[in-house]
Order: sequence, then structure tokens, then C-alpha cells
Amino acid sequence: MKTVRLGAGMAFWGDRVRPAIEMAERGDIDYLCCDHLAELTMSILSKQMRKNPERGYTPDILDLLRGTLRTCVANGTRIITNAGGANPRACASRVAELAAELGLPSLSIAVVTGDDIGQDIDGLMALGVPFRNMDTGEPLATVRERLTHACVYTGSEGIVEALGRGADIVICGRVTDIALYLGPLIHEFGWAPDDWQRLGMATAAAHSIECGGQATGGLFSGGWADVPGLENLGYPIAEFAPDGTAVITKTPGTGGRVDVRTVSEQLVYEILDPGAYLTADVTADFTNVALEQVGPDQVRITGATGRPRPETLKVNMGYQAGFIGETQFTYTWPDAYAKAQRGISFLKTRLAASGFRAQGEIVEYLGWNSMWQSCLPVPDDPDLPEIVVRYAARCESAAQARKVFTECVPLYNNGPAGVAGVGTRPPLKELFALWPCLVPRDHIKQSTDMLEVRDGEAA
Amino acid sequence: MRTIRVADLAHGRSGDKGDMCNVGLVAFDDRSFAILRAEVTADRVKQHFGDLVKGTVTRYELPNIRAMNFVLTQALDGGGTMSLRSDHLGKVMYAWLLRMELTLADASAECSS
Repeated sequence: MKTVRLGAGMAFWGDRVRPAIEMAERGDIDYLCCDHLAELTMSILSKQMRKNPERGYTPDILDLLRGTLRTCVANGTRIITNAGGANPRACASRVAELAAELGLPSLSIAVVTGDDIGQDIDGLMALGVPFRNMDTGEPLATVRERLTHACVYTGSEGIVEALGRGADIVICGRVTDIALYLGPLIHEFGWAPDDWQRLGMATAAAHSIECGGQATGGLFSGGWADVPGLENLGYPIAEFAPDGTAVITKTPGTGGRVDVRTVSEQLVYEILDPGAYLTADVTADFTNVALEQVGPDQVRITGATGRPRPETLKVNMGYQAGFIGETQFTYTWPDAYAKAQRGISFLKTRLAASGFRAQGEIVEYLGWNSMWQSCLPVPDDPDLPEIVVRYAARCESAAQARKVFTECVPLYNNGPAGVAGVGTRPPLKELFALWPCLVPRDHIKQSTDMLEVRDGEAA
Repeated sequence: MRTIRVADLAHGRSGDKGDMCNVGLVAFDDRSFAILRAEVTADRVKQHFGDLVKGTVTRYELPNIRAMNFVLTQALDGGGTMSLRSDHLGKVMYAWLLRMELTLADASAECSS
């Protein structure tokens, strides 16, 4: 029986590169699948591209390829990535340069685009696409002037086409994480685009590995102290059968563990209704997914199914939403909590006097309630050794947000006794909000372009 | 009667989708899963998270892996990109659910251990 081995090489922009290198060398993989894009990432990348048309992709792909490309080409392992982000073409040019630098005689690079609808919004609205906010029902006009980008979560079609045309590496923009895995499977097994059963089954397996180390013992809460070798965590590999079921394993000789518990925990990560896991390619149903330990670090996944894909695609639209101003200070025993209250009131009074305006604010006591907030009682034990206060506010402008630290500084010598740790001015955090909305799939067309590199030259 | 925590029955993980947070629980064994099903209802979870969750709580089940998934809406102060919270992505919301106390009749408590 033919099987296809897909490795999860990267789970987010900035993830470790070492696991992909080990996987390329020792994982016996057919494809290295790399996800670089989180919800917020496209906003950041779009902003970078507006500043410099040569940027807008996640540069960590170059680090990854520097360590894996030679091995992958030698072993016939093909690479699928969405590191193209807001600028897949620029990413492909850099990859071509890297291939030349590494002395590769030839490389076939595919660029999959079509997800970026930033320039088409007016045209699509004229065709009757309202881009209404899915959560609030508000019209797009509310934020239209502040949009940073609009990208559609596109499916696997472009990847399948690229592989059919012989690509060694496929560079995409905002395709879904799942498409990075379904693309090579459809190409290898020849699944029909409406083979909902196989696509749904494979989606469950892909979902369980797409966050890299979270399937192999990273973040594992069911006995965290017993996971071996976290410092050298191996990333997951799924060996797929033609029916879409798979055996989840990891690179030999690496840290971590693959068992029913580690995989179960990842299966329930970032899902909503498990009966309707929506992707651009299929509506997967994880309800009856089953796991079985079939060997050391080997778990078979079966039981998932699928239904027709949604007629609409989700759009990742972002808009500028101001800045967060933030500060932190520590009060000590005695009466740490009472002093902290006085310090917070000092800060708020000074902010009000400075004409400060905020759209929201928060006070957290680090080490006590910064994770679960009001679920916990106030830490008012007068004998408490210390209390760390974090204050943060959402502001319309950078100037407003800067006031938070400015007005906090006098706590150094004008406030209650026993304060430390005000520190130096922290960087402002720019806010990008998401505008979740839908677009009918008929309006979205992916394109696949090939960039052939021969003896260091683009051909 | 005996009081235990959800952590005695299950492990978990949580994450974000916009302003929604999902909390998955995976029971250690069949008996623990049965107790979770009976005791850890959507209503109780909503109550347990208090002001942290402004919206609704819905519970789903994946019985073959003894898991349940709770979807919490308006749970992240506007979502990962907007939230002022230190845990803006809801990464440790699962641990608050594992801390939830359950008061059980002696028989079921014994079976769970």
C-alpha cells in the first residue's frame, strides 16, 4: 500500500528551525509542510510590504531552507509553505537567490497567489459581497478607511496544481494551514475534490500535527513533568494511507513523545464545533475520531469524516485599531496591596489630569490574577511580601498610549513607599483588529506561477 | 460526599479563535469521562469562568477519545489581537477549568481514583 509521509516543519513565524532540519535528514518524509501564519501575522506582513515592496513574507523560511533545502532536494522531499504571507513573489525571489547561494543546479519554485483581495474590495462590493462582520453584523464601512489587508483563507487547489507542474517548493500566501497538508495528499493519491470522506479524515490528521511540537509533548498538561527531552523536541510526522487515515509519529532520535494523550490534547486545540471543522477544502467532522497506540511514538488516527466544503470562504481582514500603553511596578511588604491601590489611583488621577483617553483598561497583579482576573479574590493580605501591578490601556493614538508610562514614572519618588521595578519605557504595541467576514468562493481564483532556477539563474 | 478537581479526571488545552476561546478536556479513563459528562456542564463552566467570559459556553463531545470541547464566546477581551490581558490568546484558560471543584457521591469518587 502506498503511503505518504508529511512532516510538520514549522508551526508559526519564529518557531524553531532545528526540528525541520532533523526531519529532513532523518524523518524519511515526502513533504515538509510549514505554517508561518497566525491570525495577526498578515496585518504585520502587509504593513511591512507597504513600507518596502521587497518585504511582506516571513523571513524565517530562509533560515529553514538554509538548513533543509539541500537535503530535501537530494532526498526528493518537496516543501510546501505559506511563508509568502503578503508577498509570495518577493519570497520566491529570495528563495531563488538562496538556491543559487547553496549551489543547487536546479530548483522549481511555485508561487501560489489569489488570496489577496485588498485591491478588489470595491469590485466585489459592487458584485454584492457585503463583507459584513460575521460576529457583529456591522457593515464594512465602519472600518473601511483603516483596513490594513484583506486575505482569503484559500484552499489546496493551487498547491495541487503546483505539484502537478513539478514544483520542488511551493510558496503560498494565506492558504489555510490544512491546505498545506491536503495539497500534497490530493496530488499523491489523486483524491477527487469532492471526496469528502478522505478529505475530512486527512484534515483531522493534519490538524493534529499542524502545530508542531504541541503534538509531541509540548504544552502537554496530562503529566508535563514526564515528557522527556523538551529541549530537543521532535516535530510530528503523519504517514497517510490512501483512505486518509494516518499514523502520527515523530523524527527518530528527538525529544518528546507521541502517544494517545499527547495527540488527543492537540486534537481539541483551537477547534469550535468538532462536527463542523470548516476549511476551504472540506467541512470535516472530528466527532468520532479514534486514536490507537500502534508502536512506540506511533498513534493511528481514524474515524473522522467529512461533508461538502462551505460555499463561502473566510476572509482575514485587518484594520488599525490604535495602540496599547502599558506599565508595570512592584510594591512590597508591609501593606503591599493597599500601597498598590494607592499607586494605581495615583496613576489614574495623573492620567486624567493629562487629558488621557482610553477605550479600555486593565489592572492585573502578576503572580496572582494576571491569567484568571476576576475569578480570584483580591490579594489583600497585609503580610504579602510583594505585589506586581500591570496596567494597560487601549488608546486611539500613540501619543495617548505613551502617557501611560510617562504618568507612571513619578511613582519612583512621589508615591507611596516600597516601590521598585518601574523600569524603562516599554515599546508601544500597535493594535490590529480583525474583521471576520465571508466571500462566495466563486469570486476567488488562485493562480500558480512557476519560477525555474537553473545553475543559479532564473530561467 | 467527596470533593475533587477536574484535574483529577482530565488534562486539557486551550486556545483562541478571534474573541472565542476553546477549552478542550481529555479524560484519563472511561469512568472519569462519565463523571465529566454528568458534572462539567456548559452552565457550570459558564459560572466557573464568571466575568472572564462575557458570552456563552457551548459543550461538544468527542467520545472515542473521551474528550469534550467547550467553546467560550466573548472570552478574550476582544480577541488575541486586541486583548489587554496578559493571556491574550487564552493559552491557560484550560488550567482554570482543571481547577474547578466537583462534589461527588462517594461511590463515583472511588471509581474515579
